[in-house]
Amino acid sequence: MARVAPNSGSKALYFLCILSGATLLYLDITYKSFDNIKNIYISTTISSKYLLKKITFDPFIYLYEISSSKSQLINENKTLQAALDESYLENFIVSRGDKFFMDEEALTKMMGKYEIDEVFHSSKIKLFDTAKYFCCDTHMMYLEVISSSDINFTGSAVINSEGIVGQVISDNGVKEVLLLTDTSHYIPLETEGYFCNAKGSGKPGIVSCRYSSLIWTNPVSNGQKLYSSGLGGIYPRGILIGHVQGITSIDETNIKIDINLIADPIKHSMLGIIEK
Amino acid sequence: MKAPGILKTMLILFLVNYLESFTAPSLLKIYVAVPLTFIVFSALAYRSSQNINPFYALSIGLFVDLISNSLFGLNAILFCLISYVINSYSNTFKLFSYLQVCIFFGAASVFFTGLSNLFLAIENFSYIILFVSFFFNTSLCFLVALSPLNKLSIDKRLSQYD
Repeated sequence: MARVAPNSGSKALYFLCILSGATLLYLDITYKSFDNIKNIYISTTISSKYLLKKITFDPFIYLYEISSSKSQLINENKTLQAALDESYLENFIVSRGDKFFMDEEALTKMMGKYEIDEVFHSSKIKLFDTAKYFCCDTHMMYLEVISSSDINFTGSAVINSEGIVGQVISDNGVKEVLLLTDTSHYIPLETEGYFCNAKGSGKPGIVSCRYSSLIWTNPVSNGQKLYSSGLGGIYPRGILIGHVQGITSIDETNIKIDINLIADPIKHSMLGIIEK
Repeated sequence: MKAPGILKTMLILFLVNYLESFTAPSLLKIYVAVPLTFIVFSALAYRSSQNINPFYALSIGLFVDLISNSLFGLNAILFCLISYVINSYSNTFKLFSYLQVCIFFGAASVFFTGLSNLFLAIENFSYIILFVSFFFNTSLCFLVALSPLNKLSIDKRLSQYD
């Protein structure tokens, strides 16, 4: 259907409308008569946007923030725990500086360890079968050095912030650590000038030592401290290993002593491997 | 095509105005002013099979004034004017080619831009903007006219007479 051109009546209406528009325009320019209406509209728009955002997006944003902040806190906690463990390790070595280092200069070098080769390498537990540790004779642990290093650590002592826990027996990227309590492990110990080779008992936290009362003339008592003797070159000398916990006479001359170890390998996830 | 209902038109113009608020600042950097709201209203008036009521144009214009935060009555006058011109020449347009109609809309949009600038921001009045906008808006209208969407709409309209 064709559209009809405006007749005089329509034209008059158009003229009237345009005149009305012009009047409104004049009022707005001269007196700003419609500012209130505009302000109400703007405030309504802003409120609606805010309300809509609060109803639709904000719950999702809130959930996302909660989940991200939680995971962020967990990560921060892990980082702080690692830093704390590392500082414990440093303190352990620094407080026993004269045993780990031949002279004062070496200790000073250790303090500036980031400028020289690292004295110990922080590492995390990659695998540790604790069930096996509590039930069986084989006590092994697998470590991963945190900072990348090409050094082969085979034969290096492994410590935590309490003391020596074992030694690396194999290094194929992942470090295989034989713990002091493994039945195939021996650590040379000394106490009051006497020496013995402490063998892993297969029990958690216990190594045992045999000696002859003909050689060790001084009697051993419960609670007596035993230190690493440094023999064999694996472990540094003079580190407290444990206390005598039990004394058993095997025969007239041979005596077996059980030593309760100071360092518990399951207590800390961060360990240090001493660079040989 | 019937004249769209007032609510439908208001919704369309509200969305177009929202879009224009994003496009206008970017396009002004290349001296182009595209009054999308005005062009869309003109297109609706042009495509309508019935004459646009002057009160309808006035009220739609006032609504656009409100949502675009411009002077009250400015869009109302211009919408009334363009609907009057389109109503007057609705039959004459049928004799014109697409290009001629698009030139008309390009010129109308430039008139709108110029007049708006005179009222709203006279210091921003620029002949370069008007000149570039004329070509840009004409091209835009021409592209829309040649688009498959427009052809589809024409086919749908013609099918009403079958």
